[in-house]
Amino acid sequence: MSASSGTLSASLRARGRLWQRLTDAVGRWPASVRVAAGVLVALVAAALLASIVAPLDNTAVDLDRVLEGPSAAHLMGTDEVGRDLLTRVLHGARISLTIAAAAALAAVAAGTLVGVLAGTLGGRIDAVLMRVTDVFASQNHFLFGVLLLVLFRPALGGAGAVMLAVGLTHWPSLARIVRGELMSLRERPFVAAAVGGGANRRRLVRRHYLPHLLPAVGLAFVLTVPHAIFHESAYSFLGLGLPAHQASLGNILADGQRSLLAGGWWIALFPGLAMLAAAMTTGTIAEYWREHLHPRWRSELEL
Amino acid sequence: MTALLEVEGLSVAFRTRRGVVQALSQASVAVQPGQLLLVVGESGSGKTVLAHTMLRLLPRNVDVSGSVRLGGQELLDLPPGVLRRLRGRRMALIPQSPASSLNPVRRLGGQLLEAAQARGLTKQQARTRLRELLDEVGLDLDVVGGRYVHQLSGGMQQRIVNAMALVGAPDVVIADEPTSGLDADLVDTTAAQLRAISARGAALVVITHDLRLAQRLGGRLALLYASRIVEVGPTAAFFAAPAHPYGRELLRALPEREGKSIPGMSPQLTALPGHCAFADRCPDRFDRCTQTVPDLYPLPGGGLARCFAHAER
Repeated sequence: MSASSGTLSASLRARGRLWQRLTDAVGRWPASVRVAAGVLVALVAAALLASIVAPLDNTAVDLDRVLEGPSAAHLMGTDEVGRDLLTRVLHGARISLTIAAAAALAAVAAGTLVGVLAGTLGGRIDAVLMRVTDVFASQNHFLFGVLLLVLFRPALGGAGAVMLAVGLTHWPSLARIVRGELMSLRERPFVAAAVGGGANRRRLVRRHYLPHLLPAVGLAFVLTVPHAIFHESAYSFLGLGLPAHQASLGNILADGQRSLLAGGWWIALFPGLAMLAAAMTTGTIAEYWREHLHPRWRSELEL
Repeated sequence: MTALLEVEGLSVAFRTRRGVVQALSQASVAVQPGQLLLVVGESGSGKTVLAHTMLRLLPRNVDVSGSVRLGGQELLDLPPGVLRRLRGRRMALIPQSPASSLNPVRRLGGQLLEAAQARGLTKQQARTRLRELLDEVGLDLDVVGGRYVHQLSGGMQQRIVNAMALVGAPDVVIADEPTSGLDADLVDTTAAQLRAISARGAALVVITHDLRLAQRLGGRLALLYASRIVEVGPTAAFFAAPAHPYGRELLRALPEREGKSIPGMSPQLTALPGHCAFADRCPDRFDRCTQTVPDLYPLPGGGLARCFAHAER
């Protein structure tokens, strides 16, 4: 009995410490980051819980209520076929954020993989991988994405093709950063010490290289997410992304552009604001993180 | 009698853009279990290269000839995988500057455990062994394990890397410049720790340019100058009466002796002369000294010196 209560109180204590550390960390954030984090959490929560927060069906057409402005019944108004805009924006945000996060993850994974391979293996493999990186980086990444969409949309569907198109066009810069970081890491004495202690290449990568790369890779992810949101919207707007009936921020914006001529300003405004909010909040957090990684800049500025 | 670690006729050269750097020429040393070998010389004389060649921690642009044998087994021909299992288990390196030889972004506990597991111990064994090793030097695994390397003092960092080297119970321990960057009072502590290591029965090779540490440690000493061993013998005999002129001048340069620095510079390793490398700076040189490289001649005290002054005996 005493043993089990001991484990319980220990786990409670551990949870308390974690909570304490979390609140301490939030306490150190500047106001702008706290606001951004709050908005982002609210946005993600609303998007995740879209069917609960906005219980109306996002595809339900009501031709009696076409192009109505914001009202108590429809907080963001309705679109040109009478669908509730709030519901569509929330569902759209869910899809757009998911695609953006998955695409950013794919880009970061590809960039890290190429960078680590080039940086640790060196020699000819490094040269080949870097030339491949150059080829990808020298293309206009938006048009290259369009090409990938055209090629892969039939096989993967809209959402999968957008992830692939964004993921495959946003890794080269990270690959270069990771490779450069590894070039200097490889010369550090603790790497020689680890090799002298019997470490093999896999252990070096896992235990010594990746922990050093984590901040740069994490930052690249957070910076890629807002960018990927714009890409998804742009591709869907062009009709290359998700099918038109499916709510995504880009699709709703495309509808909104048509309705704008009929006086329906709200259809473009609200998804635009949601997109801006998602991009701005992640951007603000990424910016703070980047500064946080280089505390030296600050002490120099404060001279 | 074959020694535990035996280096014979070892030459190491690096191919660089500035030409071939001859870092080590025809070096031969041997160590027995429980024995201490000091490798002394100024920076660039080849002592770290000697240590790293023993573990074959070498870059790709290197040419090695000669032989390094551990318990009769030739290390220079071993495939990398076999060599990797030897590192840490049979031969361990105590790296130069502990502060930069520990990963700054990971807690020490993880690094210590990982080092132990790399040497084939299970997690449980590793923990017990590390606890013992750290206890001996007055550190608590639970306390230092949660810290990062920058949170420890230089002396504590040194003890951590020592423990890391010893965790695999190696037969040979190679310490590379164990006192670089340490305060004078820590030199004594380090010397005591190193003596404790060789008291465990391991053969200990200490690379250093710190003559005070060398004098404290005793054992045997090999003096390197411009890629060659110029004198080998008991450390006490060296400090009492160095046989090679370079050793003599080196000791005279110590502040507590005469504090008189040696005139001239040691030769460039890309252009070593075809005669005694010290001839240009030597106060007692003969004609022969500027014609051929002297052999290692036996000394009455049991050592060897690379100087024609001892050729006649």
